[in-house]
Amino acid sequence: MTRVRVTAPRSVPRPAGESREAAEESDVGQVFVRSLIRSQLRLALVVAIVFLLILSAFPLLAAVPGLADTRVAGVPLDWILLGAGIYPVIGLSAWLFIRAAARNESRYRDLAGDK
Amino acid sequence: MNPVVGVMALVVVSLATAAIGFYGLRISRTTGDFYVASRTVRPWWNASAIGGEYLSAASFLGVAGLILLSGTDALWFPVGYTAGYLMLLLFVAAPLRRSGAYTIPDFTEARLDSRAVRRVTSVVVVVVGWLYIVPQLHGAALTIRITTGLPAWVGSVAVVVVVCLTVVAGGMRSITFVQAFQFWLKLTAIAVPVLFIVFTLAGDGESAVAPAVVNPTGLAPAGPYQNISLLVALLFGTLGLPHVLVRFYTNPDGHSARRTTLIVLGLLSVFYLFPTAYGLVGRMFAPELARSGQPDAVVLLLPGQLIGGTAGDLLSALVVAGAFAAFLSTTSGLVVSLAGVISQDVLGGGVRGFRLAAVVSAVVPLGIALMTDSMALAGSVGLVFAFTASTVCPVLLLGIWWRGLTDAGAIAGMVTGGVLCGGAMVWGNILGAAGTPFWLAQPAAWTVPAAFAVTVLVSRATKHRIPRTTARVMTRLHTPERPLATER
Repeated sequence: MTRVRVTAPRSVPRPAGESREAAEESDVGQVFVRSLIRSQLRLALVVAIVFLLILSAFPLLAAVPGLADTRVAGVPLDWILLGAGIYPVIGLSAWLFIRAAARNESRYRDLAGDK
Repeated sequence: MNPVVGVMALVVVSLATAAIGFYGLRISRTTGDFYVASRTVRPWWNASAIGGEYLSAASFLGVAGLILLSGTDALWFPVGYTAGYLMLLLFVAAPLRRSGAYTIPDFTEARLDSRAVRRVTSVVVVVVGWLYIVPQLHGAALTIRITTGLPAWVGSVAVVVVVCLTVVAGGMRSITFVQAFQFWLKLTAIAVPVLFIVFTLAGDGESAVAPAVVNPTGLAPAGPYQNISLLVALLFGTLGLPHVLVRFYTNPDGHSARRTTLIVLGLLSVFYLFPTAYGLVGRMFAPELARSGQPDAVVLLLPGQLIGGTAGDLLSALVVAGAFAAFLSTTSGLVVSLAGVISQDVLGGGVRGFRLAAVVSAVVPLGIALMTDSMALAGSVGLVFAFTASTVCPVLLLGIWWRGLTDAGAIAGMVTGGVLCGGAMVWGNILGAAGTPFWLAQPAAWTVPAAFAVTVLVSRATKHRIPRTTARVMTRLHTPERPLATER
């Protein structure tokens, strides 16, 4: 394995691309930027709210009569739900969010003419 | 437990940490290397490092201890720690990476174009870091006392010495390797013993347990207020942790910052299954640990108690090693980010200033830790999350998403949140655990909304102070980097 001595940041400072500069200066560019920010914020809020709704359903589920006495391999079911069942929900929310956020960004790139 | 086992485990982990730290020394030379590893760390490495840094004494020892003590209510801790990362991904990860700042004060200064905001943010960040290091050192003290019989202070001092040596030697670059190594060590150290215990017990046919045994302490369950307030603290507190944020600067671009966070979420989800399992096994088979007043030691004591013999000793050694990895990694992560803030704001930057600042940021909490007694680890870390959620989080979230934020609003919000939450923590300490009313013991549910409200209202009242650079900064935060900058 060869070791590379890194002497300075490679990717930063980024030379501000022409399209970036254009986006900052022009009114049209600012319209695109504002719409990108709005769609990213809307996306983040939707994912967060849906996740919190699912999360708040878990304690209600645990309150279903008889559930605390149900056991899988000796472990109470309410423990399995809260102790393991939430993690796949978190992972799925994150994965869907990343895909949608990247889609918003590529749409912005198309609009702003960034190739 | 055999004291030699504990000492051996401690020495091996410290040596391995120092060795990787010194290896890193040979490739880190410039100031940029020292602060953020030149932002060229790959997502998998970076994710392991973030996981390694994030899983502190509270996660490794405290979660299992609280589950042993209070059952399903304590399951909200690991869920909240993980879901906090989801919020980080949704609202902060990519914009923060694109901001191009090194530290949180750098970010607030750039966003609000104000030195005053920078100074207030720096003070808040340093307080958060110090508050967070103290429970790590308490955990180290507890571990040393339980496993070796040495005086408790030896544990705290050992952690501070090893952390200072690695950070001073290598800075952030080697810290990334150290943290990544320590994540996998922690995962192994918590997974292997509990799997061993479960399979041994299952082999003995003991898995069918009477329901009554699952609640050994008879503590009343927490009300919905406590659970909600705890979740608010954990969900919003993760956003503002200085050592978590600094990690995002080591991604090459915004998209890879998101990918890294996704991997971190996977790693955390796997990890937290095991403290949960520990807590449950402890409740079923060793409930006397909860009554003896040492629930935080359950992870350390369970293997020796339930397995015994040589196998028990080996498993105990593994657990002690993992626990020290947890103290070392979180403390060094915090020390690196605090040193970054202190050296830039007080000592004028540079590698020498960074080294001096690192020593300062480790020694002050050592003093506090030696003068105070440990509370329940997960609980005291939960309070730090509440403090972060009431101070750094509103400024960060509003700064990223709201053009109307002003420097006056940011300062007023941070001061309000800091005074309310800090006041609640101090007052709760004076009253003692038994005398504290529930709304004071879990303040996040009212201090976080108060901080947000003050930030927004003051910003509205000082509209003329909205910086002229706002449009440019917002563009930079949210627009994707040009494809050239994406290296993969």
